[in-house]
Amino acid sequence: MFDESVVFVTTQGAQIRTDGGRVVVWDVDGDDGELATFPIEKLDTINVFGGVNFSTPFVAEANDHGIVLNYFTQHGDYRGSFVPERNTIAEVRRAQYALGDEGELAIARAMIAAKIRNARTLLARKGVTGTEFLADLQARAREAGSADDLRGTEGEAAERYFSRLDETLTDGWTFESRSKRPPEDHVNSLLSLTYVMVKNEVLAALRQYNLDPFLGVLHADRHGRPSLALDLQEEFRPIFCDAFVTRLVNRGTIQHDQFTADNHLADDAFQTYLGKFDDYMQEQFTHPYFEYEVTRRKAIRQQAILLRKAITGELDEYHALEVSK
Amino acid sequence: MTGSDRVQFRDELVHVSALNEYVYCPRRFYYQRYHDEIGRPYELVDGRSKHDGQARRGGWVRERYFRSEDLGLHGKLDLIESDGDVLTPVERKRAESETYFASDEVQLAGYCMLLEAVTGEPVNVGYVYLYSTDERHSVRITDRHRETVHEIVSQIESMRVDTIPPLTDNPSKCEACSARTYCMPEETARLEPERARGTGWENPDAVSLGGEES
Repeated sequence: MFDESVVFVTTQGAQIRTDGGRVVVWDVDGDDGELATFPIEKLDTINVFGGVNFSTPFVAEANDHGIVLNYFTQHGDYRGSFVPERNTIAEVRRAQYALGDEGELAIARAMIAAKIRNARTLLARKGVTGTEFLADLQARAREAGSADDLRGTEGEAAERYFSRLDETLTDGWTFESRSKRPPEDHVNSLLSLTYVMVKNEVLAALRQYNLDPFLGVLHADRHGRPSLALDLQEEFRPIFCDAFVTRLVNRGTIQHDQFTADNHLADDAFQTYLGKFDDYMQEQFTHPYFEYEVTRRKAIRQQAILLRKAITGELDEYHALEVSK
Repeated sequence: MTGSDRVQFRDELVHVSALNEYVYCPRRFYYQRYHDEIGRPYELVDGRSKHDGQARRGGWVRERYFRSEDLGLHGKLDLIESDGDVLTPVERKRAESETYFASDEVQLAGYCMLLEAVTGEPVNVGYVYLYSTDERHSVRITDRHRETVHEIVSQIESMRVDTIPPLTDNPSKCEACSARTYCMPEETARLEPERARGTGWENPDAVSLGGEES
């Protein structure tokens, strides 16, 4: 259910239609006809990049089947979404809105502590030693007495972690410091792109389980900012996002000459990137708590469910995904 | 306080199919009722199309809706067989198993009681038809069945959104359950064992079914 449930469409000029219970990607501009087809029951998210459109009957079907449609630019910048109307369950939303400061802080502490733990795990996997400072900061995050405390601890951990990330990269690649808007080098560009892609996986997961992605527990709520998605993304940043970027670079999948002058991936390289990203999301690992094999995509969705259970009181606390090996 | 005081189901009748759902697993029924989370599993969609494909024959009444305030029940009987004055409800099951379950019997009892409440005639037998074997089984409706129906109606009427029923006492039911993904019985037992105490999931290692998706 989870693994093939997300579709990426990048063919410019393609149209997505419905045909007898199936989703069909159709080459409208060119002569290729049917490009791909999927059973509608299996999909929950369709991501389109650039000039791709949906037929109106398809959008009605997407609404009926609870399929979220996300729009990106050709370069992967998020533009907005179509969200089916059934994705609003009053009782879940009510519980989310009723979370007090204490409830929010408890969840945020678990997320940030897991992020710091996972940062240390990533460095350890790459043979970077001398990271005990992260263990101390993780302990501090668990004890944080206020959201500001927690943000301070998180900021310090991020700065110190990024200062060691360079050591995980193969020769010919360097990482000086994290820069955004715009990313100042190729590694930062890949990090930014991957954060957007994973944020979107998290957004889809939150929506699927009826949480409001715009009401956060740690990130300040700001108009148009999916704060809860950013919060939940924290624990995945090191082990899913950063690990993916180092893999792309270290295995030579992406090369320096595949970037444009403004540090975007060139079209062909972006196609390669999306393919690798989807494969990576479908790759399995042994879940640290449940001990069965699970894809990264499913793990993210399970965390959205666990978050909902913590919010609605089905579980006593939020159990963030902490990977310790 | 989760706003549950605003939810008031007491005036509403219980759907007969809810009896079956509730007996199968109260927690699954909770998700379906409050969170609209069961979706449309393949079996349901397929079952519906098989209903549509049934030929009409003499002596059958199809798709009749009944309600009874006294019983607190309502529902649609998909098939009623009439033989003179005797009316017999038929409940058709698509499930692949070659047998029917206690929950199916309870549902059938609900239909029989609904039918007799509306017609004023006693209805003491119903049929369960299984597609898997193309056989139908007659079920004699006993006082025990009737008591069970009354009990379950009152349990459903007293459900509250802020009290989630415990995990099932029979983990094998989870195997084919479409709610398992978000119910997370095995995972709950591992993360917060006290939440699984006294249920069939108390010892997750003994009953682990793995992380398979249906």
